[in-house]
Amino acid sequence: MPWPAFPSIALQPDEVGRLFSALASGRLMFGPRPGSDGSCRLQPLPEIPAHPGAAQPFLSLKKFLVPDGDPLWAWTSERYAGPPPPPRLTVVDLPLCDLQALAWLDLVFAEDPPYRARREALLVVGAPCQPAADCFCDPAGLLPGGDLFRAGTRWWALSPVGEALLVRAAGPGNLAGEPLPGPEPGGAVPTVDPARFAGSAGDPLWDEAAARCLACGACSAVCPTCMCYEVVDDPRLDGTVTRRRVWDNCFFPEHARVAGGHDFRPGRGRRLRFRFEHKYLGFGPWRGLSSCVGCGRCRRACPVGISLEEVAGRLARGAGP
Amino acid sequence: MNAGFLPMPARIVAIEPLDRDHRLFSLRPAQPFDLRPGQFVEITIPGVGAFPVSACAPVAAGLLTSCIRRAGRVTEALFQLESGALLGVRGPFGNGFPVETFYGSDPLLIAGGLGIAPLRALLHALLAIPERVGRITLLYGTREPGALLFREELAGLAATGRIDLRLSVDFAEELSLEEWGVACEVGLVNDLLRAVTFDPARTVAALCGPPGLYRCLIEELARAGIPPQRIFATLERRMRCGIGECCHCVTGGVFLCREGPVFSLDRLRSMEGAI
Ligand SMILES: Cc1cc2nc3c(=O)[nH]c(=O)nc-3n(C[C@H](O)[C@H](O)[C@H](O)COP(=O)(O)OP(=O)(O)OC[C@H]3O[C@@H](n4cnc5c(N)ncnc54)[C@H](O)[C@@H]3O)c2cc1C
Ligand code: SF4
Ligand code: SF4
Ligand code: FES
Repeated sequence: MPWPAFPSIALQPDEVGRLFSALASGRLMFGPRPGSDGSCRLQPLPEIPAHPGAAQPFLSLKKFLVPDGDPLWAWTSERYAGPPPPPRLTVVDLPLCDLQALAWLDLVFAEDPPYRARREALLVVGAPCQPAADCFCDPAGLLPGGDLFRAGTRWWALSPVGEALLVRAAGPGNLAGEPLPGPEPGGAVPTVDPARFAGSAGDPLWDEAAARCLACGACSAVCPTCMCYEVVDDPRLDGTVTRRRVWDNCFFPEHARVAGGHDFRPGRGRRLRFRFEHKYLGFGPWRGLSSCVGCGRCRRACPVGISLEEVAGRLARGAGP
Repeated sequence: MNAGFLPMPARIVAIEPLDRDHRLFSLRPAQPFDLRPGQFVEITIPGVGAFPVSACAPVAAGLLTSCIRRAGRVTEALFQLESGALLGVRGPFGNGFPVETFYGSDPLLIAGGLGIAPLRALLHALLAIPERVGRITLLYGTREPGALLFREELAGLAATGRIDLRLSVDFAEELSLEEWGVACEVGLVNDLLRAVTFDPARTVAALCGPPGLYRCLIEELARAGIPPQRIFATLERRMRCGIGECCHCVTGGVFLCREGPVFSLDRLRSMEGAI
């Protein structure tokens, strides 16, 4: 199965130069780069690298779009004011899984003002990656989000903003549909049968899978499409207050607990099942749309080696161990 | 009211103590707004936090009135405030009770504990349209007689024949309710249900109470013959956004804050973990 096609064009060096200055002007630039500890992170770049080379950063774009501690408003002199305008950023060399995750965030935060402001101030450029042994992206999954994609001298427009940038650099009329040069899928994101899931509430499978879970929350923290948040106030001595949303985690025991102590999702088995449901079946208006992009981060981050794909396999094979 | 996360400034204009842990707070938001019975808002105390709350009366003259229990960190801070304090309000959120479904029916309202708060808003909305609804019955149970909220008001409505009121308490150290001329049973709300007569074909039911109340009562209403599409319950969950993002309220794959918090029984049956 090929990756989807987008309007594409091969650029001449002078056209690339014009495009690079458009991508860089007035913007901070970031890209995935290995740090001194060997772990790849989104790091500031002095300039756009001449040659594309995508790598999967430890934390995805959610770090920029729904940052931990993002201000929702500030309260000063008895007034509520919205957050300051976000920085203008260009992030280059993201792999396709992270572009698919971006498409998911764009969907679920479509009406969220702080997200929209950050998204509109962001340009995202993807590139083909070298898939790792333990990731399993799916060309049939979500249509990749972002603005541009590049491989060699060829560029693709993934959004109207990206298309306008290409047209400005190369002149109108030369773009033609071309599949993205994504990796051969190394596996498949599991598909989960909703009926089988619905009938599995009492299956020991969940408690067994969660038996080793430390409820550390690493899996959700690194997942590019996990986006639960808690809301906290940050008061200062001068009387100003900033309300922030901070990353939350459905593995934490307070997640479904209400005043008086009642917990609507007691036990790790039920919490693991909740995360599983969110990833593979979706919530609310997005029921039926999987938000797992197969990046493999959760399995890699888990200190005890829990893998949702294995759990999905067990569920598909039928009840029981 | 307003979109996004910015609260609308709202001043406390009246505080009426009901008992040690329950007070009636009247807030005046800076702009006019509407809130249907069963919908909710998020009240902010800047620097402390926020919590979701329903109104216990229809919005009148731009006032939001909520019956609030001192239940934890933020509500405790609210109980320290006085009239005039400036808060924030976001909303309205959620669907609320479908008041039109009660047209032409005999409403049967069933409240447990603080569940009386949103049901009182519904009750007042129904009392405001006497030509459209039939006989209103309210079954209301609490742990002990001292915890019955809105006693005088409810007893007054019962005394003038506007509602058929049945009260129950789990424990009774002092059963002093006879002085208002209202019978009060010791037992569970279920016992009240068995004691009232209603025509299931004419009845539309609305419930609000702790999870235990739904578990033991809601299917009993269906067994008594009320169609499940005409039995409504409002669900309480941890809620932090009200707009289907934070994921705390999700139950059976549904964002309760957006699609609920009020659901009919036929819907609830398909939502795992709802009741
Ligand atoms: C739709 C809806 C309507 C409600 N209507 C009323 C009402 O009319 N009167 C009333 O007194 N209470 C009502 N509640 C419950 C009220 O929201 C909680 O009692 C309140 O959040 C407790 O906050 P706290 O900080 O004092 O408690 P804590 O236990 O210290 O809570 C800490 C945080 O967790 C969150 N939280 C805790 N419990 C709940 C909960 N039950 N629901 C949502 N978030 C919670 C709060 O936002 C709070 O900031 C309603 C809840 C919902 C969901
Ligand atoms: S569930 Fe795991 S593999 Fe799937 S998108 Fe999230 S982190 Fe990646
Ligand atoms: S990373 Fe592993 S141990 Fe930690 S919460 Fe996720 S599944 Fe549990
Ligand atoms: S309250 Fe946040 S999703 Fe419902």
